[in-house]
Amino acid sequence: MTFQQAAEAHLDDVYGYLAWFTSDRFAAEDLTAVTFERALRLWHRFDPDRGSARTWLCQVARTVALDHFRSERRRTRREELAAPPEAVDFHFAEGLSPDLESALAGLTAGEREVVALRILLDLDAGAAARVLGISPTNCTTRLNRALKKLEEALHVAA
Amino acid sequence: MSQRDLVAELRAAHVGAPPEVRERVRLIAAAAPAPPRRITWRRALVVVVPVAAAVAATIVFTRPAKNQQVVRELNAPATIDRAAPQTHGAAAKAFAVPSPTGRVQDYDATLSLRVERAKNVSDGVKSALRITTSLGGYSASVHAETDGPRAVADLKLKIPRNHVQQAMARLSQLGTITGESVSTVDKTAALNATDRRIARLQKQLAKLRANSESPENARQILALEKQIVRLQRSEAATRLNAHYATVDLHLETPLATVAPKHGHGPLHGLGVAFRWIGIGAVYALALGGPVALLIVLLLLGVRVVRRRRENALLEI
Repeated sequence: MTFQQAAEAHLDDVYGYLAWFTSDRFAAEDLTAVTFERALRLWHRFDPDRGSARTWLCQVARTVALDHFRSERRRTRREELAAPPEAVDFHFAEGLSPDLESALAGLTAGEREVVALRILLDLDAGAAARVLGISPTNCTTRLNRALKKLEEALHVAA
Repeated sequence: MSQRDLVAELRAAHVGAPPEVRERVRLIAAAAPAPPRRITWRRALVVVVPVAAAVAATIVFTRPAKNQQVVRELNAPATIDRAAPQTHGAAAKAFAVPSPTGRVQDYDATLSLRVERAKNVSDGVKSALRITTSLGGYSASVHAETDGPRAVADLKLKIPRNHVQQAMARLSQLGTITGESVSTVDKTAALNATDRRIARLQKQLAKLRANSESPENARQILALEKQIVRLQRSEAATRLNAHYATVDLHLETPLATVAPKHGHGPLHGLGVAFRWIGIGAVYALALGGPVALLIVLLLLGVRVVRRRRENALLEI
């Protein structure tokens, strides 16, 4: 598989993962481009025997996103001194109910990313765990916790 | 809403990248160079295995074969008339000096034999005595000594002169000949001289007996008779000695043998290499172990800190 083929096949997955992870569409757009730039530089390290291209691209995307979170946190700390941050109204995906959108927005980034990987991208526990750098069991626990939180949020909303 | 419905709704959601992002990524991907030829394990093995086999074959087949060290005797005979060990029998025959008819000769021979074990020395002594007796000879002296695996025997054998060739041939069968010598001394001339002297003395004796019987004459007759008897005995002893050949037989086990050092086989170099690799590994383990442990602990610590920071980031 060439890089072009991988990029074409998994662009939506990477973008969706980053969008849910960051809950910021504009940031996700930029981070997607950064992810593929970095992936292009690192493509020689990709080994198909160790995992799929989608998993590998998600790993790269996660690193990019974490860098983004770090810089955002520094920026937010500085700006919080001057003015409180504005609430971002984010639309996660087409076809989601407003309650579910709201419940998703109430999750932490860590919870959203596991939901994105396991449910939106439909990765199995092993692949998702590899992206997150944790064990499959831990990954499943995180997912269950996130789903329970979503369920509770929806119950409250109802 | 149940969790199953929740998951179903989430799975039904579709997130597509905006066209501008798709275009940016397409441009990025278009800049990708042609994939370089990857060196995989299989490809590396395809190259490395034949090269290693060729190197090994070169080492094995071009290595000079070292000669095996032969057993070396430290007590090489000091005086041997033949340098190399002889095959049984042939040498003895070559060295046996035939006795010329009508001549009286002293015949002395030495024969040094090497046997492999101390028990062979003992058996050799018995066999040598049996051979000697069977040929009508006798043993003048026998000295045998055993000290652990080392054994030595020296025999002085008297063998009738006419059987000495046969005796030498049979004695040489008892071991590997390491030295031999034969010497003959012709006594015929001396005996003839003695005979003439005896004849002269007997003439003088006859003259004295023909003279008047005086005390002086009687004393001279007695002296001549004693001298004649002494010469006759000496002559008899010489003839008797010449009748028997003296064979000094020396039997011994190798004094000091250097265990045959096995020549270096074709895989010797490999063994040496593995030995040094093992030594290096032990040193590396002893010296590098603690350092490696520290590095591992450090990495684990860094990983824990990073994970905590990461978790803090993800709690947004």
